[in-house]
Amino acid sequence: MAFTHKRWWFTLGMLLLILPLGACARSEAASRTRVVFWHEMTGPGQEQLKQFAKEFNASQSKYRVEPQFEGNYNEAVQKILHTHGTSASPAVFQSMDVSTSQLYHAKVATPMQHFIDADHYDINKISPVARAFYSQKDSQISMPFNTSQPVLYYNASLLKRLGIKAPPVDPSYSDITRVAKAISAKSHGKVKGLTVEEYGWLFEQFMANSNEHLANHEDGRTGIPTKVHLNTPGTQAAMKWVRENIKAGDFIDYGAGSQAESNEIAAFLAGKLGIFTQSSAYISQLLAGTKDELGITYYPHQDGKPRNGVAVGGASLWISNDKPKAVQQGAWEFVKYVMTAKAQAQWQAATGYLALNKDSQTQPILQKLYKQHPSAQVPSQQLATIKANTANSGVFMEGVIQERNLAQTAMAQIYNGTDINKALAVAEKGLNDSVANTNRANHYK
Amino acid sequence: MLQSLPRNSNSKDPGAQSAPVRLSTTAQWSKDNLYVAIFLGPSLLILSVFVFWPMIKTLYLSLFLTDNLGHASVFVGLNNYMSLFNNPAYLSSLGATLMYVIAVSVLTIILGMLLAVAAQQRLRGIRFFRTIFSSTMGISVSVAAIFWLFAFNPSVGVFAQISQALHLPEINWLADPHFALLAVIMTTVWMNLGFTFLILFGALQQLPASLFEAAEIAGVGKTTQFFKISLPLISPTLFFVLIVTLIDAFKSFGLIDLMTVGGPNNATNLLVYRVYQDAFLNGNYGLASTESVVLTAIIAVITLIQFKLLGKRVNY
Repeated sequence: MAFTHKRWWFTLGMLLLILPLGACARSEAASRTRVVFWHEMTGPGQEQLKQFAKEFNASQSKYRVEPQFEGNYNEAVQKILHTHGTSASPAVFQSMDVSTSQLYHAKVATPMQHFIDADHYDINKISPVARAFYSQKDSQISMPFNTSQPVLYYNASLLKRLGIKAPPVDPSYSDITRVAKAISAKSHGKVKGLTVEEYGWLFEQFMANSNEHLANHEDGRTGIPTKVHLNTPGTQAAMKWVRENIKAGDFIDYGAGSQAESNEIAAFLAGKLGIFTQSSAYISQLLAGTKDELGITYYPHQDGKPRNGVAVGGASLWISNDKPKAVQQGAWEFVKYVMTAKAQAQWQAATGYLALNKDSQTQPILQKLYKQHPSAQVPSQQLATIKANTANSGVFMEGVIQERNLAQTAMAQIYNGTDINKALAVAEKGLNDSVANTNRANHYK
Repeated sequence: MLQSLPRNSNSKDPGAQSAPVRLSTTAQWSKDNLYVAIFLGPSLLILSVFVFWPMIKTLYLSLFLTDNLGHASVFVGLNNYMSLFNNPAYLSSLGATLMYVIAVSVLTIILGMLLAVAAQQRLRGIRFFRTIFSSTMGISVSVAAIFWLFAFNPSVGVFAQISQALHLPEINWLADPHFALLAVIMTTVWMNLGFTFLILFGALQQLPASLFEAAEIAGVGKTTQFFKISLPLISPTLFFVLIVTLIDAFKSFGLIDLMTVGGPNNATNLLVYRVYQDAFLNGNYGLASTESVVLTAIIAVITLIQFKLLGKRVNY
């Protein structure tokens, strides 16, 4: 009896202690508008986003941004679509490049252009190539955020040791073939010259850089695509280039997917691979992993044809249209905050994604990085020198992931000896069938 | 009981006479029904919400094209099924899956059996080996995948270094369509081995020693003892292990996703992985549902055949 009494008093005491705390939390919450932010970043990206939210919350007293991790890009798209219109949906969210058309047609977001116009925001500060990817008919749909570019990496120290002249910063396929051949020959086959991952994104970039549209209606920028092309002079030239290196024994194939990426990086860092093409987002990992000097060039282009430039990869920020005006305004303030020159410079230094604000390049944190590793500047230079057109602004089409799977399979076939024409034609037919089904299912005319 | 009810064929109103009897049976029935409802209700409810309804919905979706929100939009009848069986990539997935499932089950059971027999020997330090043999049970798929990925790395992996040292031709395990499935099979068997070993070892340990003593006295050799005494006696366990491994192999997903993402050239694109790709990557829920229905049918048929064929030969 005495025991239960004691417990009762204890409980009451605890309650009395907790109540004022709860009241405090409530008054704090009531004075600020809650802005839920869904993202898909892990590792340093996630840490930096938390930091941004903290800084933003401390910088004003109207809004409170809450970052929430939602799994990988693909999972997040499904969650965004299926929670839309419920209380569980976010106020602002990050979504991957290839989901842009799907989210646009699902009408889940308030166009970013709306806030840009209302706020007289100077959008010209933001990289035009990155902007073009996430806009339709000159209107910004979402705000480009974590952005990478495909580039070519080479082991500069290895080339010096072997006495090989480094490739130019804007190389053609044959420039790279020459270096790859020299690496193989001078290392007596101990170091493989080159690899290009079986990866649909890299495949698209061969087309973009050759100024070719993958989908009709200018890659979907002037209408919903009804026909696609994967078997083009540009892709054939790229695949011939790879095949030439395979036949010469200077190429090594690591397959597809994240395992291929970790294997090629492991081999590169161990000095067993000389050159590879990959996303610029790997820079920090590569710089941290080796004492060798890292060389970086622009994405290679067809011989006898100037580069048209490659599209960006990564993701953008969207503002949901199912939240009250005040919440949407808070989301916009946060988007503006992460796009400032300082925040973008910090973002690039922390993650390897490229700073999109033009004024970021002169920020001390990036100046320091470039001084330490001059090649780290190359991806930003590539991005800054590309003139945006419909061929290098990404494919605005639903089912780009399907295209990547098909292109990836075609690459695997070609790398293993299937006729280039045949493999590409099969992929093209598969994609055309899938596009027809998608258009029919969504009642697109 | 109903047959024994008194019947009056002369009566113009048979219902009137038998009414009291029927009433009592009806009462009995409703009481029974009440118990049935109480005992089965909760599990039926849970099963119907989480199993039966999704199954019906999957069947339904398999007859439609789905829009960008995953909703059924255009009825296409059996077109999804037709397009599956006319798709060479799907047929090769089917072939790869069968090959994978058979190879994994057979190899797992043979190797597990060998280890279990070996671990039976009364040797110094055998406990250490028993622990090692069953240790893969405690390893998660992702750890196993990372470990094997490094082993298979064509530039710095163990296999590449061995073949370089011995001047053997280098095999690009995960990027060569001829070897990728083999590499995944090896990894899966290695993963499965711990569990299979433990179950089979447990079964062998439980066999009565007297049988083997009698066999020894009768001068029966070790090999004959194994095939004529041990194997038949542990056949129920073997059957259990076979079914579990087989169904598990059909459902393999993690290793594929982490090691090959279905490539190269769809060589390791097993049926479950294809369902995942079509649903959650390509957003093609209609086709993915069709593939799920086909997969379910295949597993059901194979399990049925197993019970019919093997069930008779198993000594319980």
